[in-house]
Amino acid sequence: MNDSRTLEYSELARAGRNCDLRGLPQIRVAILSDAATQLLVPLLRELFRRAGLAAEIYEAPFAAIELEAFNAASDFYAFRPEVVVLLNATQALRSSFFQHSAPRDFVDETESRMVGVWDAIRSNSNALILQSTYVAPYERLFGNYDPKLATSWTTAVAELNRCLVASSRERNSVLINDVDAIASWVGRRTWFDERFWDLAKSFCAADHLPSIARNITDIVLAARGRVVKCVVLDLDNTLWGGVVGDDGVDGIQISAHGEGESFHRFQSFLLNLKKRGILLCVCSKNEFAAAIKPFEEHPEMVLRKDDVTIFVANWDNKAENIKRIRETLEIGYDSIVFLDDNPFERDTVRSLLPDVIVPELPEDPADYVKALSELNLFETTNVSLEDGARANLYRAEFARRSAASTFSNFGEYLASLNMMIELERFESSRLGRIAQLLQRSNQFNLTTHRYNERQCEDLMLDTKCMPLYASLRDRFGDHGLISVIVARPDMAKRALQITDWLMSCRVLARGVEEYLMNYVVQQAYENDLDLIIGTYIPTAKNAMVKDFFAKFGFEKVEESPDGIAHWQLRVFDYQPRRTYIQLETKQNALAAEAI
Amino acid sequence: MRNNDVLDRLTFVFRKTLGDPGLILSPGTTAHDVQGWDSLMHINLIVAAEKEFKTRFTTREITALRNIGDLLDLIARKEGAGAPKG
Repeated sequence: MNDSRTLEYSELARAGRNCDLRGLPQIRVAILSDAATQLLVPLLRELFRRAGLAAEIYEAPFAAIELEAFNAASDFYAFRPEVVVLLNATQALRSSFFQHSAPRDFVDETESRMVGVWDAIRSNSNALILQSTYVAPYERLFGNYDPKLATSWTTAVAELNRCLVASSRERNSVLINDVDAIASWVGRRTWFDERFWDLAKSFCAADHLPSIARNITDIVLAARGRVVKCVVLDLDNTLWGGVVGDDGVDGIQISAHGEGESFHRFQSFLLNLKKRGILLCVCSKNEFAAAIKPFEEHPEMVLRKDDVTIFVANWDNKAENIKRIRETLEIGYDSIVFLDDNPFERDTVRSLLPDVIVPELPEDPADYVKALSELNLFETTNVSLEDGARANLYRAEFARRSAASTFSNFGEYLASLNMMIELERFESSRLGRIAQLLQRSNQFNLTTHRYNERQCEDLMLDTKCMPLYASLRDRFGDHGLISVIVARPDMAKRALQITDWLMSCRVLARGVEEYLMNYVVQQAYENDLDLIIGTYIPTAKNAMVKDFFAKFGFEKVEESPDGIAHWQLRVFDYQPRRTYIQLETKQNALAAEAI
Repeated sequence: MRNNDVLDRLTFVFRKTLGDPGLILSPGTTAHDVQGWDSLMHINLIVAAEKEFKTRFTTREITALRNIGDLLDLIARKEGAGAPKG
């Protein structure tokens, strides 16, 4: 591990006290805790810095969670947090549990107070709330009878965690910071350091504070769209034991029992990642024919050919191959994980493509899954049905691209796709996927406002606003929800103001944006508005839509030195674009599904 | 171990933890004499010293410390108890 990734407490604390945050975009984080959190703050600052963010951190006074949350005029709200970290210590809970007269009511009372805090924060702020789980206590007052006894301390903590997590499921802006999971990873014996609790109300042993900080930054980054989308895999001695080119298909180790079991377990883990929407690609130094064979022929392989989105086997530099994979998938390097047992290959990729995530793999394949789990690489903040279908969509996309070459003109090809679009106002059942797209779209995104699900709900309920989503399907498959547009009439200017416009890159260049612009202009016309106003806010990743408005005949009316540009178009000047897409009404869609 | 060696190692640990490469410690040094040595930094210093000397101080030992001299004595006592000189 190189130094910049260290999670050693003293080093991290030192780095956090002296870190240079100049020029980094800010993130506002408030911490409310019933333990002292001062030792955690520098660690958070340093981990956010490594992720390219300058964390502005508000620390509420010690044990003032409710005081801050229930007072709309508190400094905490004045700070305008984007993220609220609620960190609850088992040690603090312990004293209230043992003072409580009725252990049976303790869980309910505590849970409803904590949920009350969430709801107070939710009504005063749009912040993302990170609620910690309680670390299971080490006391075993009744020995093995503890968990069986409904009123025991052990049971109270377990029940409280269960209730909190269940309540969080009903609240999209509340995410769980599973501190109990990281504590059980190291073990309660070393997690708790009662000396520092007694002396300074410090949450846990200092050595483990970095893992709490990392849990927090992992969640926040995922919520901001920093998620792994693709795992690129080596084959020999990574996905199976042995070298297929030398040992042959029958000679490699991959089976549910014996020596191959490590690889079997690893492949199952990868298959589960694929099922939740993470793409698997192969990048192997091999002859293609030899490399693909186990996927087609070996009866005990867990991963089959269809599970792999892009299969690259050649003798080129792996960094070069990953570059090509990235271009095809149109995702960022920082959303790719590269797994290879060979330290040389890892090193090459790390040095040539520094944004690709290249974890060390342990020497023993038996430990692969454990090592990856410890790194918590696959954090997410929501799961939608469409995630699982993503891999299939990408495969369909390749079929589509090869089909494109057989048509003499592009329009003819587009017409042959039988594209059907569904275009609707935001609706409750789609808010999860809408928010997910808002969080994840980087390239085709004009203003990159990262609304969360709650903010989307607010837009949906705002009758003056026009929040639209579009879904697309064609003869190759259903792309699901692929575009979001938010527009708002400005009566004073007699204009329709487009505040947000984003689209999944996988439906580029087939007329979707043209179709949508036709629709937006039509809406302005029907509402008797004269102008369409659009804004482009540049980010590191959205240069591809810099001239989006120009393409539709908008004129640039203003551009600030930092590149934020305002564009406008007279409704009467607009030339509707030719598209090959048909509108699908909901009734049609239902009928289509019924067939 | 001679007291001077311990002082050198402790100075190294304190310099690193406090981020002050010019820091000079003597047995009489107290928290008041050192910039940045507040109650929080105190925990960091104790944690770092425990790591350096591979020992663990008790709560009472930590609260009884008045100056660097006390810490040096404590470390010497711990080392003596853990690994008797032979």
